Amino acid sequence: MGFEQRETTVVRAPFRERTFPVTRRSDAVLIAPQARHLATLFGFGTRRSAEIAIVVSELATNIAKHGIRGEIILQLDEDLPPRGELTVIARDIGPPIRDLALAMTDGCDDRGPIDPSLLLSRGGLGTGLGAILRLSDRFEYRDLDEGKEIRARFFR
Amino acid sequence: MSEDNPQVTVTSERLQRVIQALSFASVDEFDQCVAILQESDEQDEFRELETAFSIFVQELSEAKQQTERALVRVESANRELEAKLETIEMQQAAIRELSTPIIEVWTGVLCLPVVGVVDSQRSAEMTETLLEMIVAKQARTAIVDITGIDVMDTKTADHFIKMARAVRLLGAECVISGINPGIAQTLTHIGVDLAGVRTMRNLRDALQFHLRETEQLAAHVKRDHF
Repeated sequence: MGFEQRETTVVRAPFRERTFPVTRRSDAVLIAPQARHLATLFGFGTRRSAEIAIVVSELATNIAKHGIRGEIILQLDEDLPPRGELTVIARDIGPPIRDLALAMTDGCDDRGPIDPSLLLSRGGLGTGLGAILRLSDRFEYRDLDEGKEIRARFFR
Repeated sequence: MSEDNPQVTVTSERLQRVIQALSFASVDEFDQCVAILQESDEQDEFRELETAFSIFVQELSEAKQQTERALVRVESANRELEAKLETIEMQQAAIRELSTPIIEVWTGVLCLPVVGVVDSQRSAEMTETLLEMIVAKQARTAIVDITGIDVMDTKTADHFIKMARAVRLLGAECVISGINPGIAQTLTHIGVDLAGVRTMRNLRDALQFHLRETEQLAAHVKRDHF
């Protein structure tokens, strides 16, 4: 399916899929604003686009922190009912999340509650996965042969 | 001695010359080597061997030069790449620093303008840097301006309020300015205790507030003295 002109009121985004490699913490700072821009192009409102950017930032930060290397993929599906959706895929090569339910609990990592005195040195609040869960419409996690994949989906 | 197996007689002097030529070739003196090989004006089969040998050495010399040129190119490309990597590292350090820019806008007043996307890790980093700076600069007021932020996750917003409390524990005043309607709703929704957190409409108001406080303090000190 190409980008042929059609009788439609929906703005057709100029991209299908965009991949951003992530190796360092600063990559998150660079990718998040681009994700926000692309989300706006796809027809998400300012507020929703900012939420998508936060999710991308959390995912990219996680890759830089826990994974060895990975990538963020933004995938558009114009035709998925009801009005198309944007999927943020975060894939990395690194240890799997041991206990997903626990890790998604705010203030916890995958081993349990984070000691408040370690909050700063640990570099994070332990609320990242929770934020992704709260801000996205669907959250999917799966282990890969080598690493893991998180999908956060946003309905337009 | 049969006809179909003729023998060539070579003087020891010619053999020595070939050996000498070889030793030049072994130390990369290809021109010398070729010159020696071409000295002879005999016209026998050994001469043919010498000619073949000299052609081989010339080809070897050319191949070696090409390799050296390629090596120089690779080296310069490597240097270029290293320079680029260094630039990237520097830019990354700059990005990290710019993501938490704390400015001392007035004596004892720190300002942290928050722009861009704030995720949980960034807000933790901001807290750490701000608290350290307050102690280091002996600041009395810290203004956190979030005019540039449209949306925050509830937990991150909660953490911002906790950051304000931590600033108070250090004996400084924390003013949050530029809260937009969306974040205001988030904050009230999660039901955090906002008592003791001073908020101002914008950075300008926050600064004026601090100046008034300082003046009052100065007046108090004066009165106590006389």
